[in-house]
Amino acid sequence: MVSTIQNTDVKQKDADHAVVVAITSHAAFESGADDGDEVYREGVAFPLLQALQKVNERLLEENPAESLLFDVILITTDSQQQQQSSRVISSTRHYGLEVSRFCFSSEEDFIESLQKNNVKLFLTTDTNEVTQASQTGVVSVLLDQQTAVCPSEQLRVMFCGDAVIRPDTGPMPLTRQAAQSFSTQLGEMRQKFGMFDSPLSFILVTSHGGRESCRGALQMLRSRGVSVDEAYCLAGAPRGPMLSLVQPHFLLRDGYSSLEE
Amino acid sequence: MSEIKPNESAPAPAEDNGEEKDWAAAKAFFDNLKTHKPRPPKPRYAVTIAVSSRTLFNMVAERKIYEEEGVEKYVAYQLENENEPLKPGAAFPFVKALMNVNSRLRKLYPDSEELFDIVLMTNNHAQVGVRLINSINHYDLTIERFCMTGGQSPIGYLKAYMTNLYLSKDSEKVGEAIEEGIAAATMFMPKTEMELSDTQLRVAFDGDAVLFSDESEIIVKKHGLDTFFQHEKEFENKPLAQGPLKCFLEALGKLQRKFYAKDERLNCPIRTFLVTARSAASSGARVLKTLRSWGLEIDEALFLAGAPKGPLLQKIKPHIYFDDQMFHIEGAKELGTISAHVPYGIGQKYNRGKLIEPEKKE
Repeated sequence: MVSTIQNTDVKQKDADHAVVVAITSHAAFESGADDGDEVYREGVAFPLLQALQKVNERLLEENPAESLLFDVILITTDSQQQQQSSRVISSTRHYGLEVSRFCFSSEEDFIESLQKNNVKLFLTTDTNEVTQASQTGVVSVLLDQQTAVCPSEQLRVMFCGDAVIRPDTGPMPLTRQAAQSFSTQLGEMRQKFGMFDSPLSFILVTSHGGRESCRGALQMLRSRGVSVDEAYCLAGAPRGPMLSLVQPHFLLRDGYSSLEE
Repeated sequence: MSEIKPNESAPAPAEDNGEEKDWAAAKAFFDNLKTHKPRPPKPRYAVTIAVSSRTLFNMVAERKIYEEEGVEKYVAYQLENENEPLKPGAAFPFVKALMNVNSRLRKLYPDSEELFDIVLMTNNHAQVGVRLINSINHYDLTIERFCMTGGQSPIGYLKAYMTNLYLSKDSEKVGEAIEEGIAAATMFMPKTEMELSDTQLRVAFDGDAVLFSDESEIIVKKHGLDTFFQHEKEFENKPLAQGPLKCFLEALGKLQRKFYAKDERLNCPIRTFLVTARSAASSGARVLKTLRSWGLEIDEALFLAGAPKGPLLQKIKPHIYFDDQMFHIEGAKELGTISAHVPYGIGQKYNRGKLIEPEKKE
């Protein structure tokens, strides 16, 4: 059973042009043992939510009539949080989060809410949910403690330069297609800002390949309308120290190969 | 400062599993390439040299556009000229010389990771990167690792790449790097071109405030030469403290010994020079004894006793010359030596022997 509630604090976006991003309330809020308070504590996705909001703010600054905006919806599948639906809503309002709709559903039918809402990007802390959503062709990202320390002033989207060069022989899986069109939309948003001081930044990290892989990825992404801002080519150098400096909010896997890390 | 990397032969530390996976995947990638490009060495064992885009290539015209017309026009210009290779910059001959040492090392030690690793470290926008990579391809340089930070400071990335030496045109970044303990220098393009060796890497160092600390230079500036000579004689047997480039000399020495071990001393593709204003008779001994106490060798030590360095450097023809005083850098430049300023120590407060007075407020 899926129920949707609109957040009257927030102006609803234009469904034809907005990019719908779904975040689970589990990622947005921490429901800890000390649940005496009315309001949940900030979850790992908080900086990410704030960064998405920042992009919208700046887009509207450039053009107050802008319709290509992020439309953030909060999905609650956790039964405990479901029982406290009013608390999810009041916490959202308390932090002034730009969430336009709340969807309450069970683990079994949360996919339905993704489809009904035309979700382009699904963010969760649950690995099962990532797998399930990916199988239906929705770009899904697993968030973790790393996400919690990312900046909130700029949305940093990472692309992997290794997968891009190796073409698959089979048909493109659904998620890849979805990731490509999502990245093109992000690219369009990026165009509205200048070289520097953009609230949205694209980062290319090539872990194994060398300069040819990197150049190929830069040009291929460019052809898709994604103008990469920062590029790091590691050719086997340790990734850990680099990534803790780069601080991407998430990795968008839209390469040809299904090579996973 | 820029601590020297561990030996390959030493027992391997309990390595990060992720690190090993990344390394193995890269190795597989390069080994499978049809072009048989040499694979970049493991950073843990390599001597990592980070060069900025403006030291590797001559980007004077492009820089002018950036300064006069702004970043958007600059990037647009680079995109328009993407397929036009950039001309070589001040660090170019040095990089070619490093590549030559690597090919000699690979022949003698085919399985060793103790090589030079050249990294392009730039805060250019990644879109400019395509032209940079095209240019690297044009000259067939072995540079496979880079950071294009899109405006952010490269200092953190220098550390992440375990950099042993950083060369840039931006003296502020170089100063920051030195403060963080990374050997660094600001490069200058000489007025005239010199014919440099293509079989031997030749690196020249000033002594005080480059290889050694500025402790003695402080004495000269504050108390004059006579006190300096007295002091150096008295403390002849007390080693000087380290300077910012000491570890780089050490790294060069380590690679030199690999050639000596294979009976290649006479044909060694690395040669180091000390070019100091000290005089052999009075203050030179302390320098040589310090080097010896550090277990470091320098191939040629030249004591000028205050004579100008320019003409001597012309004879040496180094691929790079490190000095802490702009006065000497200017002199070297005039006569065609590629020089690199190390902004360290008391020498920065002086210009041609006079204390630089702070600006007086009206």
